[in-house]
Amino acid sequence: MARRMWTFAAATAVLALGLAGCAEDTPSSSGSAGGASGSQAGPIKIGAVLDITGAGASLGVPERKTLQMLAKRLNDSGGVNGRQIELTIEDDQSTEDAAARAASKLLQTENVDVLLGASRTGPSLAMRPIAEQAKKPMISLAANAAIIDGATWVFKTAQNDRVVVEKMVDDMSAKGYHKIALARDSSSFGEGVAELFTELGADKGIKVTAVQKFDPDASDFTAQMVNIRDAKPDAVVIWGIPPAASLAQQAFRRVGPKVPVYQSHGIGNQVFLDAAGSSADGLLAPLGRMLVADQLSADDPQREVVTKFISDYKAAYGENPSAFAGYAYDAFTIATNALKEAGTDPNKLREAIQGVSDWPGVSGVFTMTPENHSGLSKDAMVMVTVKDGQWKLADSATS
Amino acid sequence: MSDLLQLVFSGLANGAVYGLVALGFVAVFSVREIVNLAQGEYSALAGLSAISAVAAGLPLLLACCLVVPLVVLVAVAIERVVIAPVKRMTPLISIILTLGISTVLKAVMLLIWGPQARGLGPFPGRDFLLGGVSIRSQELWILGTAAVVGTAVVWFYEHTLRGKTLRACAEQPVAARLVGISPRTASMVAFGIAGFVGAVAGVVSSPIYFSSWSSGLALGLKGFVAATLGGLVSLRVALMGGLVLGVLENLVAGYVDTGYRDAVAFLVLVLVLLVRPQGLVLQPKALRV
Repeated sequence: MARRMWTFAAATAVLALGLAGCAEDTPSSSGSAGGASGSQAGPIKIGAVLDITGAGASLGVPERKTLQMLAKRLNDSGGVNGRQIELTIEDDQSTEDAAARAASKLLQTENVDVLLGASRTGPSLAMRPIAEQAKKPMISLAANAAIIDGATWVFKTAQNDRVVVEKMVDDMSAKGYHKIALARDSSSFGEGVAELFTELGADKGIKVTAVQKFDPDASDFTAQMVNIRDAKPDAVVIWGIPPAASLAQQAFRRVGPKVPVYQSHGIGNQVFLDAAGSSADGLLAPLGRMLVADQLSADDPQREVVTKFISDYKAAYGENPSAFAGYAYDAFTIATNALKEAGTDPNKLREAIQGVSDWPGVSGVFTMTPENHSGLSKDAMVMVTVKDGQWKLADSATS
Repeated sequence: MSDLLQLVFSGLANGAVYGLVALGFVAVFSVREIVNLAQGEYSALAGLSAISAVAAGLPLLLACCLVVPLVVLVAVAIERVVIAPVKRMTPLISIILTLGISTVLKAVMLLIWGPQARGLGPFPGRDFLLGGVSIRSQELWILGTAAVVGTAVVWFYEHTLRGKTLRACAEQPVAARLVGISPRTASMVAFGIAGFVGAVAGVVSSPIYFSSWSSGLALGLKGFVAATLGGLVSLRVALMGGLVLGVLENLVAGYVDTGYRDAVAFLVLVLVLLVRPQGLVLQPKALRV
């Protein structure tokens, strides 16, 4: 019996450690061009920390593809001011501690000039103090405004959750919804969302009557959706990333009444559509224009850049880019444009990024200021719906 | 009331998957006294292989029928190559070995299928509503499969000569050898059964719970907890334990807080180890199986 106890205890410990750590190392890929490193000559070093494995994999993988494609393209055409780009990509396994470690390694050991990433809010928040301390520009690809609030060195390209909520609230109030129920990601991506709805919805009589949480790697959502159903809302908001957001969508369509479902901008990829299947039909989500590029009007300022990015990405990988690939495109292009303009001196580089104005990117038209390190307003988004497994521009009540 | 029924029903489906995985733990432990930490990986491997087979153009059910024996072969091959050569198996060696197998399998799956979670297409059938409870046809498939496979495994261990010889090996290895029972075969069969139940759990659960290179970890943990309810030796209690755990998780998620869902398994495990480490089997000196 003693021996069996021992086996039990040891096996338990091992399984628990495995669950907590998930300590798999995946090979990090590093891009082209070796050679001597120096701060003013030799290659310019760009480091990226992405959620390549773990809960954020559906975000990080296309982001990695985008960065590799753009770095190769830029180097083939002569690099930045005659200097090659040396791109190093690290996997943070969708965890905060690995993101912090990777950021420290890139900034202190590799001495990168610009840091990109991470894919999601939690890991990005973990990287922020490291970049601030190293006094090097960092451009995050994640959503939560907390990443850049009051930051000196940190920027981001994904639309702020605040403007996403504004867009949703406008749409809800135009359609006369008052009671909404929220099912949100339990990680930092979903943190503060209910408060934002309460704050922005106050004038319009919109109230959050129920909040449920789900883990980004959860697989069964019945319990949450039963509670959402019982709140009898006018509309439901699901705030998460695929595959969790897809499973939540399916679960609500299965147990819930036929009320409208809003999803966040976390769902802008094919993985969401594939996993959600027909349950996605009719949902509403504020998303960047890229997903509906073919439906944009000819004079849209983003049309050219978006169309070119889609065709480049398709040529390279044989699939459509996701909204997350777009965030990576914007971050990389803002960084390299600033490098072209200001060189690698960190202070000048930061000024150059801060000076981006009316620049049409894939996720929207960016205007950065010293106070606004996100650069996108709610005009960067359009209300999108899903019909027969395709993204469609919604007849927005506000636009 | 319909809330309670809904939570219980979808918990049962979830729990049936845990129960199948738990059978795998018991199948190996009751013969070899090894806690097979790679048990969850069989399910992930089966789910991902089935997705690839379907993508290659095979019909869904045929793909599943092909993938299950394939995973059984993998499980037996691993037993032959890694477990069998060890002359004196101690708990420590067995844990290190099976953890190693699990890590290698995960790495291989990550290399082949990449990091993203995917789901198999749903099995034939229609979802329907019954008394306000939404029932997915896939959940019925899971429950039905678990019932059939569970009964078959229990029947095999308790009522067939071959099953009884397995138990004999575990009870009295020397005496079993003296009467002509091969511990070598017994070990292979045990791992084969573990691979079989793991693979079945993997393919039936994939359409709604998804498969990824890392999905075996959580599944293995839940299955292990269910198996400890039966002291790692009772197949019946392990299967029941899985169902109980699934329902309990869903009730906690529904009525307390969804954040505690994953804590349920750990809490149950701690309680079992503290209060009844021999499991919940009623006779204090339960026969193995």
